[in-house]
Amino acid sequence: MFDLEDTGFDPEKVQGNILRGYRLNRVRHLMLEVTDRHAARGFLAASADGTKVDVPRITRSADWVKSLRVRFNIGVTHPGLRALGLPADQLASFPIEFSEGMARRAVKLGDVGTSAPGHWAPPFDTPDRIHIVASVYADETEAFDTVEAQLARAFTVLGVRDGRNLDEGKVFFGYRDSLSQPRFKHVFDPDELGVDEPLDPLGTILLGYPTHFEGVGFAVPEPRVAFRDSAFNAFRVLQQDTEAFETYLTEAATYLETHPKVARLLPEGAERNIGDGLGRHAALREVVAAQMCGRWRNGTPYALSPDSDAPGDLSLTNYDYTRASRCPAGSHMRRANPRGGPIVQRVANFSRRLVRRGMSYGPESGDGEHGLLGNFIGANYGAQFEAIMCDWINFGLQDPEITGTNDPLLGANQPETSVFDLTLADGDDRIRLQGLPRFVITRGGAYTLLPSLPAIRHLAQLTG
Amino acid sequence: MSDDGGWLNRYVNTLPERGWFQFLSKYVVVPYWVWREGKPKLPGGPRPSQQPSDSTQRMMNLLMPLKDPSPIGRAKAVMALAQNVDEIYAGLDNVGTVHSARFLLVEDYICMISVYDGDFSNYIRDFIATIGSVFDALMQVVEGGDKLAPCEHNVEAFIDWVRAHDLFQAPDFPIEMFGLQDAQVGKVPNHPPHALQTLPRALILQLHANRNISLGGGYRGYPGFSAAQIRQKLGVGW
Repeated sequence: MFDLEDTGFDPEKVQGNILRGYRLNRVRHLMLEVTDRHAARGFLAASADGTKVDVPRITRSADWVKSLRVRFNIGVTHPGLRALGLPADQLASFPIEFSEGMARRAVKLGDVGTSAPGHWAPPFDTPDRIHIVASVYADETEAFDTVEAQLARAFTVLGVRDGRNLDEGKVFFGYRDSLSQPRFKHVFDPDELGVDEPLDPLGTILLGYPTHFEGVGFAVPEPRVAFRDSAFNAFRVLQQDTEAFETYLTEAATYLETHPKVARLLPEGAERNIGDGLGRHAALREVVAAQMCGRWRNGTPYALSPDSDAPGDLSLTNYDYTRASRCPAGSHMRRANPRGGPIVQRVANFSRRLVRRGMSYGPESGDGEHGLLGNFIGANYGAQFEAIMCDWINFGLQDPEITGTNDPLLGANQPETSVFDLTLADGDDRIRLQGLPRFVITRGGAYTLLPSLPAIRHLAQLTG
Repeated sequence: MSDDGGWLNRYVNTLPERGWFQFLSKYVVVPYWVWREGKPKLPGGPRPSQQPSDSTQRMMNLLMPLKDPSPIGRAKAVMALAQNVDEIYAGLDNVGTVHSARFLLVEDYICMISVYDGDFSNYIRDFIATIGSVFDALMQVVEGGDKLAPCEHNVEAFIDWVRAHDLFQAPDFPIEMFGLQDAQVGKVPNHPPHALQTLPRALILQLHANRNISLGGGYRGYPGFSAAQIRQKLGVGW
């Protein structure tokens, strides 16, 4: 009944943006409503097999080796599946997180206060109208308008979001991002060469394969033959309050400069080993930023190098956490991926991994909202994305030292209650920082199924 | 109730005690209101909360209907658990977020009462991953359990089933019942606001849909701490 054979992986069946990232630097996400289901199905049919010149072909995993200038992928929401005419019994075979949708899971995701769905930017303020999120990837922006015009002939375009890679793989907070991703034995990814974290089974991300837990499989929606090889995605529009973040670092550094324990946070003179050689205050800003994230802003892991951000010969990915680790248990990276380190839920080490793909949006700095357009992909929302968001990012259940606190970077913090403990050299002593505001504000998002190619064909041939 | 001393008011005030009125309420008025605006069953377990103290020591009151409530069937349920005690301890150790758990045979149910930290579905999912065989043994003696076993292959359906059989936890402030009922049918809570005097009816209708409930989320003798925090403080490792 349940096929747990780790076989039959066919790169022609899996959309190309799931198991590996593209090396294209720009993206346009288009939020679409199905207002004419016949037109929509016709588009999907042509898109799955590239049968029409004016309909972009879905990029699959098999296309990685090709050098394509434009790559195209789609995600479909639960209201989208209904709008396309998926029968009720098949709709009911999807997990509750997906059928409720991201907006109704808000409290669990920490989307409260200014991040609550009631404050989301259009078109995310009408979540039931968002049926498809189509993503076009390219290096040049010309292709975006062409594809948008093609989509507009079959769908109502509710809104678009353009993203781009910033220089040196950084995000607006100044960190290098996307250094650690799950890797799969079926996938050759040159970015993952030399990484020594355990291989992740395909079932971590794709439906219908063995998962990290021996014998445990996540349900494949009906018809299983169609929806196998699909994945679930949390698409998020995350505003980054860069000004508040940099201001907080400055305030924290000023507080720390005269703190009696500061020499154990950063030895006197060590500031010369940070950046191009910084002053004491500027270096302390970087130490706070590094402990909050778990990496120095240039990507060097804090656990491996607490007194200098020089990468030297250090691996960016090969390390683990221990009880004596200088990387705080409350840091963003260690919360989101505790690796093999000590956690309360011992069974959960490595089991909640998800694929993160994101690009930045908005102006460089100064006025205007900017942030990250993120895709957080996995086989099961509850076991991965939501589990990380509610128990680890926003509650800190994984380590008694941080239980009751939120992620310093991503968490739903309020200055009145938030705390973050900085680790010190030698021993369990800490310096406690307080008053962290919320630095990342949710502006919208959607739970989308990234359908396999057979699933797209199944949706295209629905009748009624 | 009116405190005006007129004869009609005095009579109306005695209605709840009168047999004919109780009969009418039970067999006519309540069924009529259930037909007119019955409430959907509210989901079980604690509701998600941003308040850290609400996210520790959460209560599970899982009522699982026995397939066979005869003494023989009950004995089978006892055996199913007795044979798995070692696994249960191993599971508690590896899942790490459980304070205590106990099983009761009450009337036609086998009940699992537990206190745990964090999100409900993670708690159940981690248990499935660790000691799924214990749940499978349990499902053999539970009504409707056949189609959920093995739970390792029905993770989502099993979690949904547990949530449906975990008792609804009535809000500690009765007035919050209105908002929960609104949200359950997809309406904006308390918009428009509800008249306070309709609260008894709202409660009666909810108890028609959720026959067994937990009165509030339970009471603690001290602020909420996680199992790991307590273990750490007591120096017994976590």
